Amino acid sequence: MKINVIKRERLWWASSVFIIAFGLIAMAVSWSMIGTPLKPSLDFIGGTRLQLQLECAASKSCQDPIDVAKVREVLEEEGLGGSGIQIIEDYTLSIRSKTLDVAERTKLQEVLTEKIGNFNPQTIQIDTVGPTIGQELFTSGLLALILSFVGIAVYLNFRFQADYAFFAIVALFHDVLLTVGIFAILGLTIGVEVDSLFLVALLTIIGFSVNDTVVIYDRIRENLEKYPDESINDVVDDSVNQTLTRSINTTSTTLLPLIAIFFFGGETLKYFALALIIGFVTGAYSSIFISSTLLAWWRNRPLKLRQNEPN
Amino acid sequence: MQKQRWLIALILALVVGSFVVLFELPLQLGLDLRGGAQLTMEVQPTKEVTQIKSEDLAAVKTVIENRVNALGVSEPLVQTVGQDKILVQLPGVTNPEQAERILGGTAQLEFREQKQGTEGEFQAEYSIKRQLEAQSVFLRKQNVDPTKLTELIQSLEGSNQALLKLFEPVGLTGKNLKDARPAPTQAGNAWEVAIRFDDVGGQKFAELTKNLAGTGRSIGIFLDNSLVSAPVVGVEFASTGISGGSAVITGNFTVETANDLAVQLRGGSLPFPVKVVENRTVGATLGQDSIRRSIIAGAAGLALVLIFMAVYYRLPGVIADVSLLIYALLSLAAFALIGVTLTLPGIAGFILSIGMAVDANVLIFERTREELRAGNTLYRSVEGGFYRAFSSILDSNVTTLISCGALFWLGSGLVKGFALTLAIGVAVSMFTALTCSRTFLLMVVLGVPGIRQKPELFCPNISNLAIAENGTSPNAAKS
Repeated sequence: MKINVIKRERLWWASSVFIIAFGLIAMAVSWSMIGTPLKPSLDFIGGTRLQLQLECAASKSCQDPIDVAKVREVLEEEGLGGSGIQIIEDYTLSIRSKTLDVAERTKLQEVLTEKIGNFNPQTIQIDTVGPTIGQELFTSGLLALILSFVGIAVYLNFRFQADYAFFAIVALFHDVLLTVGIFAILGLTIGVEVDSLFLVALLTIIGFSVNDTVVIYDRIRENLEKYPDESINDVVDDSVNQTLTRSINTTSTTLLPLIAIFFFGGETLKYFALALIIGFVTGAYSSIFISSTLLAWWRNRPLKLRQNEPN
Repeated sequence: MQKQRWLIALILALVVGSFVVLFELPLQLGLDLRGGAQLTMEVQPTKEVTQIKSEDLAAVKTVIENRVNALGVSEPLVQTVGQDKILVQLPGVTNPEQAERILGGTAQLEFREQKQGTEGEFQAEYSIKRQLEAQSVFLRKQNVDPTKLTELIQSLEGSNQALLKLFEPVGLTGKNLKDARPAPTQAGNAWEVAIRFDDVGGQKFAELTKNLAGTGRSIGIFLDNSLVSAPVVGVEFASTGISGGSAVITGNFTVETANDLAVQLRGGSLPFPVKVVENRTVGATLGQDSIRRSIIAGAAGLALVLIFMAVYYRLPGVIADVSLLIYALLSLAAFALIGVTLTLPGIAGFILSIGMAVDANVLIFERTREELRAGNTLYRSVEGGFYRAFSSILDSNVTTLISCGALFWLGSGLVKGFALTLAIGVAVSMFTALTCSRTFLLMVVLGVPGIRQKPELFCPNISNLAIAENGTSPNAAKS
């Protein structure tokens, strides 16, 4: 198998721009609807999430599944009308509300027990995040993201020439933007929220997908030295093809455990795994089709400009 | 070959060592896996004191520790986080209401005067309290029956109440205390705690000490209604009391115990309200469910990767699988050894690192195949593969480590766990790829002569290419 990346470069660029633009539109729509580009979980905006499972679920002796209308009634009585209610597998109730303090939460639990039934304390899950903490989590996550962009740029600049480093970073932005865009769409369509694990996923994506780019650039550099007379287009094409199996195999072996986590890992890790899957796939795509072609395009500029460079 | 033997010995030693470590040191599980409540408390500045110094935070931490101990939870953990937060972990607690109520709020430090005629009662009750406290410290470290601990805590609470009744308030509280520090005694062979009051506090303290001097009755120093110290006042202060706003508490203090008391007093004097700003509670069954799910996910992921490698890369793939298993073992041992607390995201990081650990092997094997196709001998191809893939392996691992570093440095608890496990995974995977895979491969190539005649074990469809091994042509090798 041999692919010709240079010849179709405009197609690759156009598809990326198209998908990213679509994501940006989704973010804009989300912004106009809820004031944020992505649907934030309580990690970032604060709030209380209460997950309770009926006691009878363990012994499989429950009569009726939990009635959403009844729960809504209780919440409205408690002045928590706008809260989100979700019933998981008939007997588990998940409530997402504004930040509740101890007294409010305890009262809610009591009323729910009275109206809905006894809950099993061993399967409870409570998440309460104060609004300021959420803000801090978000800022520190964002800071970590920027920091690792800078760190990677500095490292690449030190290991490669400046233009390589620049386009590797462009590819990273591409991967992050694409993943964020898809999650904006998922947020709008099926209500997927982004939590601090999503930020972790983004960081892992940039750490991982720069690998692919680095491996290809490594090969381009090697081939440029080996065959100084070949045109940059041919060198890039050859290098991409020589590393293609590796790129595909590495991405596959990393995706396999992620797919396992997505299917078997439980609720908490599901969308974390999905974010990584999307990010790693786009990471492989951008290394093969975007960062390589951009580098060739850049090096093909008129010679007049090239002479100013300290190569 | 000599070098390979040494490396094999090293790898074997590491594998055995890892088993020993994993048997001796069980992996620590986070509260999201074993069930429990994690509360983050924020120490809030007041109008008067807008800055929280790290010393203040440490003092508030001791106050929180005292309160946590009063909850009767086994193996609690209290630690400071950042500039103004204290993290409290309460394993096994699924109804954190009581904890949230007790842990919040400003510390209450009070100096009280012992009532007349309570001397005997005080002695008896105080020694009971001390005994109970010693017992509860002991019990808390062992994972005993929680009801036993609860009973003990209840009797301790009763004892505290009884003691409180023996003292009457004189209006001297933590607000009046300016400072408390451990200091060596003048003789220099022991330690004492020096305390200093503001003007109003100094006067009240003089009054209090004047009343108590020489009577044998004590000053009751209560922190959150629990007696922390009960010094008596010497008869020489009977006329004026201890004036000037400064005093020392002497006793059989070592530097540690003096410091403990000083920090408790300082903590009690701080005006900062403490508020629960984050509560993450997970029931034990839910945690076990998470463990079960992640074991399934991890095993499935590992199996898929192993199969993929063996099918695609054949003999080297099988060897990579062996080093991958060694990798998983060494990483787990490293977690146990470093004391990483495994959380759900941490496990995800580990599972992910399994996939990433293969990367180095893939890079090497692809290179090896290229060298083979270029007509090199098997041995040179393997060595060349390792040599030429190294720069890519290094670059890709360093960039991942940079991201981990950023996460670890700036992330919160859960995120840190992920970054740490991923970083350990990356470091261990570099070791296993560059030593285990390489050593095993070279052992096979050098040690088993038959293998050298069969390059197709390394690269399918290679036999139609020219292979020069010891001057023999590929056709001769095939026969």
